[in-house]
Amino acid sequence: MTTARRSGPWRVLIASSHPLFAKGLRSLLQKRPRGDVAVVGLVSTVAEALDTLREHRPDLVIVDYDDEVFNRDEILARLVEGEGRLRVVLLSLGEKGDEAIVYDRRSMAASQIEDWLEKWTDTHAPSQLPVISIRDVESENAHPQRRNYMKHYLTAALLVIILTAASIFGLDRIRLLPVQASLQAEPIDFLFGIEFKIIAFLFALIVGLMIYSIVVFRRKPGDTSDAEHVEGNLKLEVLWTLAPLATVIYISFLGAQVLGNTLVPDPQPLEVKVVGSQWSWRFEYPEQGITATELRLPVNKQVLLRLSSTDVIHSFWVPEFRMKQDVLPGGDNMIRELRVTPKEIGEYKVRCAELCGQGHANMRAPVLVLSQNDFQAWVDSQTAPVSEDPVVRGDNWSQQYGCRACHSIDGTEGVGPTWKGVYGSQVQLADGSTVTADHDYLLESIRDPGAKIVQGFQNIMPPNIAQDMTDGQVEDMIAFIESLK
Amino acid sequence: MKILSTSLVKGLIGQVIGTALGMGFMLLVRLLLGLQPWKPEPVWVVGSLFGVIAFMLGTGVTNDWLKWIQGEETPEAESHYEPPIGLQQILNISYDHKVIGIQYGITSLILFAIAGLFALIFRTELISPGMQFLIPDQYNTFISLHGIVMIFGILVGVGAMMNFLTPLLIGANDMAFPRLNAFAYWINVPAAILLLSTLFLGGIDAGWTAYPPLSANLGKMGFAMFFLGVYVFGLSSILGALNVIATTIRLRAPGMTAFRLPIFVWSALATALIALTATQLIGLSFQLVLFERLFGMDFFNPAQGGNVILFQHLFWFYSHPAVYVFILTGLGIISELLPVFVRKPLFGYKWIAMSSMGIALIGFFVWAHHMFSSGMASYLRVPFMFSTMLVAVPTGVKFFSWAGTMWGGKMSFETPMLFVLGAISIFLLGGLSGPPNATVATDLHLHDTYWVVGHFHATMFGGYVFPYIAAIYYWYPKITGRMYNETLGKIHFFLMLPGFYVQSLVQMYAGLLGMRRRIADYDPALGLQIEHILITFAGFVIAFSILIFFVNLVVSLRRGKVAASNPWRSRSLEFQLPSPLPAHNYSQPIEVVGEPYDYGLPDAVYTQPIPSPTPAAAD
Repeated sequence: MTTARRSGPWRVLIASSHPLFAKGLRSLLQKRPRGDVAVVGLVSTVAEALDTLREHRPDLVIVDYDDEVFNRDEILARLVEGEGRLRVVLLSLGEKGDEAIVYDRRSMAASQIEDWLEKWTDTHAPSQLPVISIRDVESENAHPQRRNYMKHYLTAALLVIILTAASIFGLDRIRLLPVQASLQAEPIDFLFGIEFKIIAFLFALIVGLMIYSIVVFRRKPGDTSDAEHVEGNLKLEVLWTLAPLATVIYISFLGAQVLGNTLVPDPQPLEVKVVGSQWSWRFEYPEQGITATELRLPVNKQVLLRLSSTDVIHSFWVPEFRMKQDVLPGGDNMIRELRVTPKEIGEYKVRCAELCGQGHANMRAPVLVLSQNDFQAWVDSQTAPVSEDPVVRGDNWSQQYGCRACHSIDGTEGVGPTWKGVYGSQVQLADGSTVTADHDYLLESIRDPGAKIVQGFQNIMPPNIAQDMTDGQVEDMIAFIESLK
Repeated sequence: MKILSTSLVKGLIGQVIGTALGMGFMLLVRLLLGLQPWKPEPVWVVGSLFGVIAFMLGTGVTNDWLKWIQGEETPEAESHYEPPIGLQQILNISYDHKVIGIQYGITSLILFAIAGLFALIFRTELISPGMQFLIPDQYNTFISLHGIVMIFGILVGVGAMMNFLTPLLIGANDMAFPRLNAFAYWINVPAAILLLSTLFLGGIDAGWTAYPPLSANLGKMGFAMFFLGVYVFGLSSILGALNVIATTIRLRAPGMTAFRLPIFVWSALATALIALTATQLIGLSFQLVLFERLFGMDFFNPAQGGNVILFQHLFWFYSHPAVYVFILTGLGIISELLPVFVRKPLFGYKWIAMSSMGIALIGFFVWAHHMFSSGMASYLRVPFMFSTMLVAVPTGVKFFSWAGTMWGGKMSFETPMLFVLGAISIFLLGGLSGPPNATVATDLHLHDTYWVVGHFHATMFGGYVFPYIAAIYYWYPKITGRMYNETLGKIHFFLMLPGFYVQSLVQMYAGLLGMRRRIADYDPALGLQIEHILITFAGFVIAFSILIFFVNLVVSLRRGKVAASNPWRSRSLEFQLPSPLPAHNYSQPIEVVGEPYDYGLPDAVYTQPIPSPTPAAAD
């Protein structure tokens, strides 16, 4: 009864509710070089399977073992009850790959299957029955996805590598940081370099995978089916928890080390007291007895900046030195230190980096890194006997105490009234009255800035600026203002 | 004339009258104390406080509570309206969580528009060196208000998502405390008015962080309004968070165990836990400065032994976790939407859920990384560097899990999905620009520069703004019963994404080269003019794209295609309901029998109706 059929190819029925499984297996079987297998149907329910069985009478039924929809117990029960010679292969794609079971009223392990098939063919149809190597089918079938994914993994990895290389190359080409002008900037820039590379890699990794997914795993038009049901992967999750953990601990460790490097003290630094006020900087050299509005530093000598504020919080930042330190009000307790060793002669600027009111943007002062000799020459010039002329002295004080950050001497409107021509003039006050700007008025305005407010200006001059001035200095200043006709 | 009898108008009238009464009261008190009656700051503060209370009484949101105090019964808080939600519901008090969610949402969009406008103003000013049309004082006020109004826009937007979505996603009919919910929304309105009134009451010039002693400067009365406004806003946050926690714990549908919760609910819960426990600290720190201003209590006055660093600790103890309030919600939206458009389960659901809790927890131990250059004890910087870096671990889990979700999926690219993808890439940029700030040594260069501005705008856009926009597009059909215009949505996306990348990357670049934050004018010697032109231009592109977004939302209300009940073929509960959502969410009780994201299992069931046990007892 089976002779006629044996002359043709083997007739196979594939039962699975997963179209990918069924179609994949079919195309594999059809690709067999001997062409001795014909797939007579793909079915996805037990009822369909029974119909097809009756209609096409296949020789072999391959059942997806892992299919939760397809009830294998039920179909096996039906097949056992049926007549005719029929082999059933239960094929598992699960990780327990050796559970492919061939059923003809017995079940056996994968390793026995080929033997059994051989025997079976020997007994029944020595010449004509093809050997369907279960191992081949199974490995072909269980791995096409894995093999496909391998292709995907490799392509995506290549994309990530290219993106990483391109971004690191790109970042390398552009200037990302200002001139490196301090010794402390060296380890900091080294750390920046490492961080930029890690950032470039991680950005390329995720964006690369995203771009790859967007291009490759896009839904075809009209396809309403879902993708494969994958809920997660414990090993991967653990990996991508632990790997970043190790990375950030490593970066933190480096960060702590670099921070330590920037804090190393020299035994004999040059000490400079930096005083921030709204909105000017003042620099005092206690050992040299100099006060200035420009920060002059000798090259290659560590300077210990002792920072304090007379009013609100400021922040000392010279971008070329890389480091920043807030400048706090509150007296001696709140003095903060910053150590810098300038290594490049040049002109920089200290800029206030903490919002401190309306003059914040312009709260900057020149920072001049000089050769040791130039620095010494400057110190000598500053410590030379002061001028006999009170006007010249007043000019000096007004610069040293930073008055001219707000008060111009050329008539320009500033945050405070200009000094040009103010002496002896009639001043309109905010309360509507008028006063003559004589010696006493100016004295009061310096010592107690809030007493009389000029119309159009606010009471914002810090009273403590003048607290540091001697009476003689104030008199010099008034003489200087008087000279500005 | 109907509009005049709405709760909103009644509340506003109440606020005006209340403010006047409060000011009068304070004048009287000062007069009786023998003081000069008119002193602007105390008089305005007391007036404003009265105004807020009068607003709440005026809206009638407290009516039921007042009745309970008197021992009167009130009917159950129920939703009585025909969907979709219209102007009538939005302008009046409602106890329905969907209406409140929409009210939050619209308020947030208005706040964003205002704050965005401030940004455009000062960005235009910054287009070239030298002052163009602002004076530094106005500039400082605009940047400060841009910051704080955006933050409150975001918090209100978080409220929108949590209120609208939480009950729907867990199968509940409303929040646990509907009246409290309405109260928490409405109090935002007078708070926003207080905050914006700073514009006309002297301005503020210390940034949204308002560090004293600058913010204690009595010359700027705007600060008093600012502190009061933030304080009232904080109240809303705390009450809203309380409600979300209670709702999530108590009102889940039968069978919805912890790991069957939609992932957004996990992030809402994590968010609410932060908001409930941390918001007090910003309230406290601002209250202390306010008391310093009003009563001369010298908490932070260095001249009287006050400590300026103490404020920063208190302030950042809230304000850093607050960042996670913003982004956790947004990241929840990304995780929620991604499986729908990838047609695959969320990869590593439990890991993503736990990573939200992890971020929330670690978020409490990192605040001092804002203070590496502040002058706090130097050694403290190292432990805070380590703790801050740890945030990267749970955040990394999210990114990798999203990549895992996309891998091998069947992605489609409707507007919400585009914004989800944009959000991931931008948040990645924001996240990766974080570690250089967290590392003390490099932060000493980066702190208070445009790098930081670029960094946190990227985290905010990626972690909040893009997901929020995605959420609005995604649930628009559920809210209005109509589809938004897909073409306009795509134009919006393809303008906003490159606009943002240009803005943020150029900001970071300028910061590295020495551009300080919050400066009204910059030194041409820095050579950053082209960069500033680019940033400003990109800002306008973003603004224009947002304008398209608004037009789309408004026009589609009437012109949009009528929406199907489940346009995205989502498995989520609310998409099994009709569009627009019915007033009563789940009139047929449901139970949860499966997993929320089982895409790819054709017969997997998530929920099923509970058969009424005794139909006869129904009447």
